[in-house]
Amino acid sequence: MLNRNDHSGTFPPAGFLSLPRAEQAGRFHEIFCAGIGSMVIDEAKEVLKIEAQSILGLVDRIGAEFEKAIEIILKNKGRLILTGMGKSGLIGRKIAATLNSTGTPSLFLHPAEAIHGDLGMVTPNDIVLAISNSGNTGEINTLLPLLKKMGVKIIALTGNPDSPMTKMCDLVIDVAVEREACPMGMAPTASTTAALAMGDALAVVLLKRRRFNPDDFRRFHPGGSLGDRLAVKVREIMLTGKRIPTVPMGSKVQRAIEEIEAKGIGATLVSNKVGKLAGIITDGDLRRLLLKQKNIGELRVEDVMSPSPWTIDQNRTTAEALASMEMHSIMHLVIVDGEDRIMGIVHLHDLLGREEFRVNGAFHRTPGTHR
Amino acid sequence: MGPFIAPRGLIVEPITPLTNDGSIDGQGLKKLLARLIPFSQGLFLSSPCMGEGKTLSAEQRVELFEEALVTIRGRVPLLFWITRDTEKDTRETLLALREILRKSSYPGEVLWVDSPLFYHSNRGLPAYYQNLCSLVSEPLVLHNDPELIRGLTKPFKRQNIRTAILKELASLPSMVGLIFLGSLDRAYNYQRACRTSAHFRIYDGDELQFLDHPSMGGVVSRGANLAPKTWQEITEASLQLRGDQKYDPEYLSTTWQRGQYLRDLVDLYGQTPVALIKQVLWDLGIIQTCFCTRPADHMEEAKERIKEMLDRYGDL
Repeated sequence: MLNRNDHSGTFPPAGFLSLPRAEQAGRFHEIFCAGIGSMVIDEAKEVLKIEAQSILGLVDRIGAEFEKAIEIILKNKGRLILTGMGKSGLIGRKIAATLNSTGTPSLFLHPAEAIHGDLGMVTPNDIVLAISNSGNTGEINTLLPLLKKMGVKIIALTGNPDSPMTKMCDLVIDVAVEREACPMGMAPTASTTAALAMGDALAVVLLKRRRFNPDDFRRFHPGGSLGDRLAVKVREIMLTGKRIPTVPMGSKVQRAIEEIEAKGIGATLVSNKVGKLAGIITDGDLRRLLLKQKNIGELRVEDVMSPSPWTIDQNRTTAEALASMEMHSIMHLVIVDGEDRIMGIVHLHDLLGREEFRVNGAFHRTPGTHR
Repeated sequence: MGPFIAPRGLIVEPITPLTNDGSIDGQGLKKLLARLIPFSQGLFLSSPCMGEGKTLSAEQRVELFEEALVTIRGRVPLLFWITRDTEKDTRETLLALREILRKSSYPGEVLWVDSPLFYHSNRGLPAYYQNLCSLVSEPLVLHNDPELIRGLTKPFKRQNIRTAILKELASLPSMVGLIFLGSLDRAYNYQRACRTSAHFRIYDGDELQFLDHPSMGGVVSRGANLAPKTWQEITEASLQLRGDQKYDPEYLSTTWQRGQYLRDLVDLYGQTPVALIKQVLWDLGIIQTCFCTRPADHMEEAKERIKEMLDRYGDL
């Protein structure tokens, strides 16, 4: 029974059965375990080969229907709506995500939810890409006539081009596989791999045809770069040294305005004689002051500044800095040491990136800061 | 009219019921086929192993074919093994069977199954089949079984159809399928070679291979002689012929158990399938004798276990 699935016929090894019984018993564990181990790897290799073959099979079959599908999706003014049940549904969700991030507006519609109200999200301008390997999925075959009635174009992604489902579709992309890797169809394996690969083929071809470029990609992927950015420490992005807008106590407001203009972050710090933080003057403070009196240039900064501005430790993360800014509805945080000496300042834009969702590759590291 | 589409699903490879004098047990055949037809997408008669086609005489084959036509009456496609020891004999058998078919005005589909390497080398096979296909209007199915060829007294150098040759053969309009036994690696190569022939189906001739990694063409099953209903259920599940039940945990659990039951059956009859299956069918009163051309001994225990399993899983 041990070697039922061992197609190589190498288990137990040649000569084992002719060994004396005592020696057989001595080596049984070693050989048994080695046999099972190789069976596991062999089985895994078979599965991978079957899945690989399922994709290679598509290469020979892909043709005019695929081209037509690309054409109508490109001409379409609405969205591409993916639908499918079970594993096909999961594949549909992934394809929808790939399409969205590569410039084809897309969403996933659960077939069961669709017939209980979600059908309202579909408009006649949309195209539906229905995924069902068997082409006999009840929920899909209930949904498709309703979509057809709405005038929606339907593309089938199926392993059974002669199924009832395909009769309701405008185009059929054949993703049939020759062999499943899973026994008795317990879980679709090679067929879902094939559908997923075909979905990727659609997304990538559409991406190229739309001349989608890296900037577009960044625009649709703020999460990755923003996530990276928010994980870094405040000390890595704060402005330091001469880039910190600072005016000494006793200066006129006119000087503060010039400093704000020169350093360009919409605020200036006010320091005392020994370089400790005394306050902050922001664009907002000046605006509010101007509403009260016209000639503000001759005033002293200590008359105008907000004393005790919000500060943060340089070793905190930028995510914490962002949370603090949100909590206190402010745009700036000051970084001071244990004795309140000014070390730096961060602006909200430094946390998010000064350009729109700037990626880390273009991240500007403040000179003079150390990890 | 479009190209002929070969059946997809469960093709049963029935035993050939024989009387003690070696003639065809017509009554037994009728009962057996009546049991199998409701659950199968095709019947492969006179097959080299289960159907004892290798040892049946030309007269016995003709008799079997005539009985089968009368019994099946077009309800499922009939696949019939035509191979003989030589090219000439094979052609003569084919023409004789073809003539019977013509005279019978048979309403159903008949597919001729041939194991070319049994009597021919790979060299010149495409030309040979072009000629053979021109003699008959029915479609042909190839049979590739390296064990069958290995068992010949003078085997040809190769025991498998060469992939490049298969590619050519699959492109013939009358060539609609292949019953494949052999390694999975060869199966991949064959599948790749036949992809451009959309009408061409590859069936798993090895039941265990089908149970592990099912070919989407279907399976040619020996065990379905015993458990046709379960084999049909498993084939339907494997080919995803029904899309409505697969999310039901109860269904998945039952399918798994039934698959395991079929594996256990294969283990029991694997060594002497014909003799043992005939014994069981005889005990069940389906065939009149358990006569077979290659009898086997010491099958009592396996037979009883098979019957007990058939009873437990409702296949009696």
